[in-house]
Amino acid sequence: MRRFLRPVALLLLVTPAATSLARSQVATRQETIVIEMGREPITPIPTLTRGNTAAQQVSDMLFLPLARLGPNNITAGDTDFEPQLARSWRRRDSLTLEFEIDPRARWHDGVPVTARDAALALNLARDSTVSAGTALLLRRVASVTPEDDRHLVVRFSEAYDEQFYDVVFHVSPLPAHLVDTVPRGELARSAYAAAPVGNGPYRWVRRVPGQQLDLAADAQFFRGSPGPRRVTVLVVPDPEAQINLLLSGGADVLQSLGPVTNVARVTADKRITIYPVPSFTVGYLLFNQRDPADLARPHPVLADRDVRAAIAMALDIPALVQATFGPWASVPVGPVPQLSWIRDPAARVAAANPAGARALLRARGWSDTDGDGILDRAGKPLALSLNFPATSSPRAQLALLVQEQLRHVGIRLELNRLDGSVWSERRDRGNFDIDFSSATLDPSPSGLVQSWSCAGRGGSNVGYYCDPKVDALLGQAQHDRKHALSLYREAVRALVSDVPAVFLFSPTSPYAVSSRIHRVDLNPVAPFSALWRWNPGPLP
Amino acid sequence: MIHWLLRRSLQAVLTFLVVTVLLFVLMRLTPGDPLQRLAGDRQVSAAEAAALRRRFGIDQPITTQFRTFVTGALAGDLGVSIEHYPTRVSTLLVSRLPASLLLGGTVLVLTFGFGIALGALQAVRRGRRVDRWLTRVSLALYAMPSFWLGLVLAWFFGIRLQMLPVAQMHDPLFDPEATWLAGAGDVLRHLILPATTLTAVSLAAVMHYQRTALLEVLRLDFVLAARARGLPERQVLWRHAWRNALFPVVGLLGLWLPMLVTGSVFVEQVFNWPGLGHLAADAVGARDYPVILGTAMLVSAQVLLGGLLADLGYYALDPRVRRA
Repeated sequence: MRRFLRPVALLLLVTPAATSLARSQVATRQETIVIEMGREPITPIPTLTRGNTAAQQVSDMLFLPLARLGPNNITAGDTDFEPQLARSWRRRDSLTLEFEIDPRARWHDGVPVTARDAALALNLARDSTVSAGTALLLRRVASVTPEDDRHLVVRFSEAYDEQFYDVVFHVSPLPAHLVDTVPRGELARSAYAAAPVGNGPYRWVRRVPGQQLDLAADAQFFRGSPGPRRVTVLVVPDPEAQINLLLSGGADVLQSLGPVTNVARVTADKRITIYPVPSFTVGYLLFNQRDPADLARPHPVLADRDVRAAIAMALDIPALVQATFGPWASVPVGPVPQLSWIRDPAARVAAANPAGARALLRARGWSDTDGDGILDRAGKPLALSLNFPATSSPRAQLALLVQEQLRHVGIRLELNRLDGSVWSERRDRGNFDIDFSSATLDPSPSGLVQSWSCAGRGGSNVGYYCDPKVDALLGQAQHDRKHALSLYREAVRALVSDVPAVFLFSPTSPYAVSSRIHRVDLNPVAPFSALWRWNPGPLP
Repeated sequence: MIHWLLRRSLQAVLTFLVVTVLLFVLMRLTPGDPLQRLAGDRQVSAAEAAALRRRFGIDQPITTQFRTFVTGALAGDLGVSIEHYPTRVSTLLVSRLPASLLLGGTVLVLTFGFGIALGALQAVRRGRRVDRWLTRVSLALYAMPSFWLGLVLAWFFGIRLQMLPVAQMHDPLFDPEATWLAGAGDVLRHLILPATTLTAVSLAAVMHYQRTALLEVLRLDFVLAARARGLPERQVLWRHAWRNALFPVVGLLGLWLPMLVTGSVFVEQVFNWPGLGHLAADAVGARDYPVILGTAMLVSAQVLLGGLLADLGYYALDPRVRRA
């Protein structure tokens, strides 16, 4: 009996000790903002974060860029940018930009931020051995030179509208005194990457691998004193665990609530406030214009523009989006997210027209000769398959609705719910009829070139869409600042009329934030860049 | 004894090698692209994709990949994780092992401790009310999906009553320099819900094994002889019958030892417990080949070790095995 009682007595001793300690932590908890992220923000260092949204979001708290994109997200020119590390800038000529670094800016180890730091980061990012992605984006930067501690000069190989955007959006300065001795390509594995020194409102404290990351407010931050004294990022991949943690008060911020039912569940809790944050994401049904069995040949059905148009006409897109997302998505016109500056507010998606779709298909020789409800031509039924990733519940739900609406016009749609990596592999190999794609774009509309130009075929343009007219318009738009907006919009109109895809949704992310936090400001491009201005109140 | 142990160990090593080769080949044959998770919804240029494939060596032929893996593994290097780059797989496994051992060990102790005790109680009280109710309750718990029970417990004790933490292994704001006692208390609070969930759904099997085994032994002649000799019932039950009824449970324990490292994938996910099961599930979704292989090797080693330990248990407990 004694042997049994001993561990029980120990338990009784330990639990109150832990509880009393928890009480002493209340003050700390109150000043801390706990953010849940679905992925681990490994190496949250500018130039290394591409592809890892969590790392990018943490990086936004640790590091400042030279300038930040303003509320209108206009990437052409420099009028919609707000100064950050750069106090000012000027254009010397069409190929040269000069930045002046704010003399108050300091790294977290106390060393002043200089033009050399900005030059180092930009030159690292231009090196494809460090980051192939950013090197491609900065391919038109010819040289980056610090003229002195305060002045940075960037020269370009050609004149184009987004020179300023390219320099300030993709890269933030790195501390040259700590990084320039690290061999290129080794930055991710360096001692610096294990405990990065930044210049933003928060400094690095510690990382518990796979579990959490702690940041502390930098009292010397030159743009003001951060409100929340600590930020803790919890790595919580499971959506149910995320919601439970939020509702139990264990976390303050959750940026991805998943299905609409989760939004309703969280909204019902008065301790949580939902903030809608529009996104740069577009979801669409991408048509493969090549035969999946032999990519050298046109697709036997979808190479026909009228068949693609009939599929688009058959779908009641606003109804589909409303049924799936409720108010948490809008219908895009073309591959243009709701936040893009080239979005045409007057443009509308054509209303569903199943009768017109049937007529169009009949004109192309598709009719129901055997009375089975599915159209056929030359003995072959109008049957297509739709691939989508099993991990995306909105896409799974939409796929079912699309299948049903297409059935009404006589098209049989087979749904292939695939493991994420299998879906992606098939997509990249062109092994699909229709792919349920979702792309998160950079704010720059120049990204349209990757997915929708003739040159992009076989690369990012996995549907093999090609229209030289669209290519020409996109090319002109990038170099003609005066007419860029109208040229981009014309390119989008031409693209939409070719029906390379059915553009379905551009989601709005419901960010769940504890109601004790006030002055919440969530920037769609960098959600936590203004977190230092938030004001955490007492715990409920 | 030594000869037997050597023979069993050699068999285990050979099995481990075959399993490792099979795992490597099967994994590479499975469709899927590890770059999908790295890219997310972002468009990746061909140059970027090629650079990523080069970095992780997945642009090489499978034979080259296998040679690289074997060379590294022999030197104790299981490679670099794709998802957690630049973290090494061995570092990841070592960092996740304590959490898995703690949860798995606690569940094993609770499951076998309570399972054996309750199973024995059922056998002794066979057919009575306590036996019937224990069977009903344990089977009901056994029939519940662990993730569902975990969610219910998390909702009730974590959200509704706000009594217990619903996720993590530590309080995120816990001072790493706090006393050992405070640290143990913090971990204990976080352990309660996942350990209870796993124990609840696992208990029925051990109870059932123990009950059946003890009932069978209680019918044997030597028990009758012990009673005839006038030994007290407690002594008959625990010294003679129960010890002989332990063999099937020891075999079951050997099979369950891998749970020490893998725990339950679903329960680890629901409670965000930072164990190896969680890591393995994420790695499968991300096609993080080196991590999948590392965790699978660890599990297969554990299975083989469990079998070996179970045999040793039989050897120690049953004189007939020693004589054979």
